[in-house]
Parts: sequence; C-alpha cells; structure tokens
Amino acid sequence: MLEVRDLTKRYGDVVALDGATFSVAPGRIVGFLGPNGAGKTTTMRAIFGLVVPDGGEVRWMDAPVGPEQRARFGYMPEERGLYPKMRVGEQLVFLAELSGLTGTSAKHAAGRWLDRLGLGDRADSRLEDLSHGNQQRVQLAAALVHDPELAVLDEPFSGLDPLGVGSLAGLLEETAASGVAVLFSSHQLDLVEDVCQDVVIIDHGRIVLAGAVEDLKAASSRRSLDVVVNGEPWMPAMPGATVASTRDGQVHVLVDASADLAQLLASASGAGEVTRFSFEPPSLADLFLEAVSEERRA
Amino acid sequence: MSGARRVGLVVRREWTQRVRSNAFRISTAVAAAIVVAIIAVPEILGADVNERTVGMVGVSSPQLASVVQATGRQAGLTVSTRRFADEAAGEAALRSGDADVLLVGPGALVWKSDVDEQLGAVVTSAVQAIEQQRAIGELGLTPDQLRTLRPVQVTSRSLEPVIAERSARLDVAIIGLVLLLLAISFYGGFLLVGVIEEKSSRVIEVLLSRLRPTELLAGKIAGIGLVGLAQLSVVAAAGLVALAVSHDHRVPTTTGGTIAWIVVWFVLGYGFYSVLYGAAGSLVSRQEEAQSMTLPITALLLVAYFVALQTVRSPDSTATLVLSFVPPTAPMVMIVRIANGAVPWWQIAISVLLMLATISGMVLLAGRIYTGAVLRLGRRVKLRDAWRGGEVSG
Repeated sequence: MLEVRDLTKRYGDVVALDGATFSVAPGRIVGFLGPNGAGKTTTMRAIFGLVVPDGGEVRWMDAPVGPEQRARFGYMPEERGLYPKMRVGEQLVFLAELSGLTGTSAKHAAGRWLDRLGLGDRADSRLEDLSHGNQQRVQLAAALVHDPELAVLDEPFSGLDPLGVGSLAGLLEETAASGVAVLFSSHQLDLVEDVCQDVVIIDHGRIVLAGAVEDLKAASSRRSLDVVVNGEPWMPAMPGATVASTRDGQVHVLVDASADLAQLLASASGAGEVTRFSFEPPSLADLFLEAVSEERRA
Repeated sequence: MSGARRVGLVVRREWTQRVRSNAFRISTAVAAAIVVAIIAVPEILGADVNERTVGMVGVSSPQLASVVQATGRQAGLTVSTRRFADEAAGEAALRSGDADVLLVGPGALVWKSDVDEQLGAVVTSAVQAIEQQRAIGELGLTPDQLRTLRPVQVTSRSLEPVIAERSARLDVAIIGLVLLLLAISFYGGFLLVGVIEEKSSRVIEVLLSRLRPTELLAGKIAGIGLVGLAQLSVVAAAGLVALAVSHDHRVPTTTGGTIAWIVVWFVLGYGFYSVLYGAAGSLVSRQEEAQSMTLPITALLLVAYFVALQTVRSPDSTATLVLSFVPPTAPMVMIVRIANGAVPWWQIAISVLLMLATISGMVLLAGRIYTGAVLRLGRRVKLRDAWRGGEVSG
C-alpha cells in the first residue's frame, strides 16, 4: 500500500501541495485527477524523491520511502524521454539493472517487454529511429521493465490514438491484476472512468475527493439531469442546481437526489417538447466538476 | 542495491556507448599516428641530421679536407667539404644552406647566423692539426721536443644538461601541454554535452527515479574519464613504442617518463575541470546554451595553459615551483617541470594530494549545484537557485 500523508510543498508564493493525503492499494488502478497546476506531477515526483516536500511523508508497506523502496517502483514521467542514440534493448537493460535486476534477468525482462509491446525485432534499433508511437511504448516498458510493485504513470494516455489507448488500458488492467498498485494521472475523465477502479481528485494541492468510483457515485447526494427541450430555452428553477453545460437546447445540470422529478418534467414540458429526460447517478466528470467547484467556493 | 553498483552501471554505460563509436576509434588512431609521427618523422627524414658541409676558400693544404672528415667522424658527424673560388661564392652557398660553415684562409670561420659549436670545434682542431704538422716539419723538432709541445689534454663535463638537451626537453614539455589541454577540454566537453543531453532528452527524470543525482554525476565523470584515460594511454603507449624503436639521440632521456606522467596528470586535471563542466552542464537544458556556460571554465583552462607555457622559459624559477602546486595550473606546470628534469618525489606527492583534496571539495560543491539544477528543465538555472535547491536532497 502506498500512503501519501499530508504532503506540503511551496515554490516561493505558489502553494503546489497543501496537505495532500491519499493511498493506493496493490492490485488497484487509481486515476489521479485534477485541473492543470493542481499538484499531480508534484505529488508523483515527491513519491520518487525528485521533489523534496516541505512537510509530510510518503510510505510504502508501512515504511518511509527511500532508495530501497523506490527500486521497486516504476515511473513514467510527464516529460517523456530516454537516450535518443542508445539502442532500445540496451536502454531497457540499463534501466532494469539500475532498478536492481541482475544482468541476466534484466536482459530477459527487456526482451519480454519488447515482445509484449510488439517491438521484439527493434531491440537493436536506436530509440530515435522508432516512430513516435513506438517510442511511447518503449517509455512505458522503461517504467515497467523491472516488474515494479508500484507503477506511477504521469499522463500515460496523452498523445495516444484510440488503438493505443485501448491497448494501454488493457495492459494496465493486466498489470494491476498481477497485484501491482497503479497510479496514473489524466485529463480524460471518460477514459479514467472506464479504466480505473479508484479515483483521487486533487485541486490546489489538496485532495478534494478520493475513493472507489462506484462508491463515490452511489454516495453522492447529487444526480445528473439531462434534458433536451425543443422550444423556449429552459432552465430548472431550483436552488442548488449546478449547470454543467448547455448547448442547442440540451441542458446538463447537477441537482440534489431529492429533487422533485415530476415538477421538473412539468416545468420542462411547459417550455416545449421534451425529447430527452434522464436522471442518473453522476458521472465521474460530474463528480470532478462538483468537487473542484466546491473546493473553489470554500 | 548499493550506490556503488549504480555508479558502476552508469560508468559501464558511458564506456560501452562511447568506446563502440567510430568517432572514438578514429580519433584514437589519428592521435596515436600524430604522436608517432612527431617522434619518428625527424628520424626518418633526418638521415642527414648529422651531416655537415664545410665550405673552403683560399685553403692551400690538400690534406685539410680529409683531416676535417676524420675529425668529424670522431665527433659523430659526417662532414663533406666543398671548395669555392672566392669568398662571395662561399657566402652565397652559406646563405642558401649549401654549406654550414665557410673556412676562409687557414684562420677564419664564417657562419650564416648561429654558431654550430660542434662543427666549429671540428674544423678548428683539423686546421690546428694541419698547421702543427706543417710547423713540426719546418722546425725539424726531436721527438722529446714534440712531447713537450703537445698540448695538455683537458677534459670537460657538464653539471646540467647541455643547452640542446634542455631545449629538446622543453619541446617535449610543450607537446605534453598541448596534449593535456586538448585531452582535458575534449573530455570535459564530452561530459558537458552528456549532462545536457540527459536534460534535453528528458531522460533525467527516468534516471533520477532510480539513482541519486550525485551517483549519476559521479558515474558520468568516471565513465568519460576512463574513456579518456584509455585513449590517452593508447596514444602514450604508441609514443613510447615509437621512442623505443627510434634510437634518435636527440630525443631527451626524460621523454618516456614525461609521457607516462602526462597520463597521470590528465586524470587529475580532467578530475578538476570535469567537475566544473558537469556542474555547468546541469544549469542549462539545451546544447545551444552550453557555449555561454563553458566560457569561464575554458578561460580558466586556457589561462592555466598559457601560464604553463610561460614557465617553459624558466622551469627552475620559484614562480614555476609555486604554480606546480596550485590546482588549476598544477597538472600543466608539473608536466613542464617533469619534462625539464628530476622533480623530487615528495613535491609530486604534495601536488597530487593538493589536487585530490581540491577535487573532493569541488565534487561536494558541484554535486550540490548539479542536484539543485539538473531536474529544472527549460530556462537556464541561476547558480544561486541551484545552490539553494541542492541543499536538502542528495
């Protein structure tokens, strides 16, 4: 279990982390969400000692994280990069050995990962001779080559085409199924909802929401209301309604679970023909917006 | 896993990636060829270095030519003679290099500019022998009288190397200085480029999630230093072999030792300057910015080089002695002193220890700057910010 406890970090006047606390359990895929500048990358770098926090600590299996623990972590940084002129296979062997594997097992691991990612025949190519997509794959292999117990991936889906997204999602699921704790950050909320079991939402360096996606949805006192009206512009007149989006007569709002549906439908019908009226548990995107905007109001 | 193993892995990566490159093989071969050429070419071309031509004007004795040749042989010179019709023709030959000295009448030697003492002595003693022979014949001396008249044999020996030997030694020192300057700036430059490459390619975060910044810097310095040491050793070995094969008596006896010491002082000089190059490289994220960063370091290196060149003129002065202990100049000035002649072992030991102490101090300072700067991508990092940033981690 990875435990991030009360991390704080300041850069001059800018507060990057303000008591961030959450955990990642083995075998779980945790989506790490937050607006730009919320502190996702800083948190991940703190896990690897690339940022020294002003306060708080990171623990792994009930021990403070040090070089010994980090050797069992895998990291794919936001800023992608490997040695451009080094051969792909050698590069992975080098990184695996740096993480503590012996020469022989590092060679096996590098070969296994290249085969798994469909790059078995490119082991002797220089990284710079690979296509962008294949370089991304090698980068992922670099994070996982030593079979870490914790994988921390910063925006692993950015820049991938739909096929790439699909195969990476499958790979993360396999990885987690083998008992690895996976933490990844993303902006693509729909994707996160599909892939991960748990979410951690951070804003202004504070964790504003954390838990299993299903539990959070079930526990929410809000509901997502989607209404399409052909006619006059319509808006639910109701205290506590948060407008998420309006477009071409389609209204998407968050309302309290206790809202009077009959009254809402009657009000919408008064404005024109109602072609759609859905009342559902909130999506992850709804939870995210709600959590972030509440945080900002507070 | 121990830090030592991680450093070792970085060293191995630097070594294998660089030694395998064609650039390394070609540059090693070219450098070795140049050094061998410097040593061997005068030997090959210089079949005539011991040949001299003596021009003669108005010399009546028919035996003089053969006596000059015989006396020359005793002194290790192959002397040929050439008669000229008048002094003007002789001087013209002197100017054009067709003759090394002109003997006018029985008693005057004319040179182009510098006096070749050795040749002068040969010709003088030949002339004196001929004249003495003639006088003995004219006077009709008895053997006893002859013995009395025979000049006293005066032997001579030098306490210090003769001028020619000294200047040859200092030539070796200058070649050594150039070699050292090239090697240090070459490999320091490799380190600089290597450090920046890890920032510009963004591989640095992948690496530093696995090892400490100081381990990475130490591994890079040692790895590139080993490559440099290997290259320089190959070049030095080629030089020593060429030296052993050619039996050129003009190559000073200290040359072999000097070449060996150059390798040692490269290690220390590279250690000193590479730490600076490594810290400078960590401050920038793009190769284009490297130039401005290295300017002060390159300037220091060049100053040390020119200072050392000055000490060639006065290798025994107090200033030279002092400079051979001051870390930035010590590697180069020590080469000058070693090439010039025996340096007491304890002086070398003190200078090496001072060098090592300075390098370890600088490793701490540079390691802190590197730690504070190497993860800051983008804009050039201010030295002060890097210093502060490197305080806590390590």
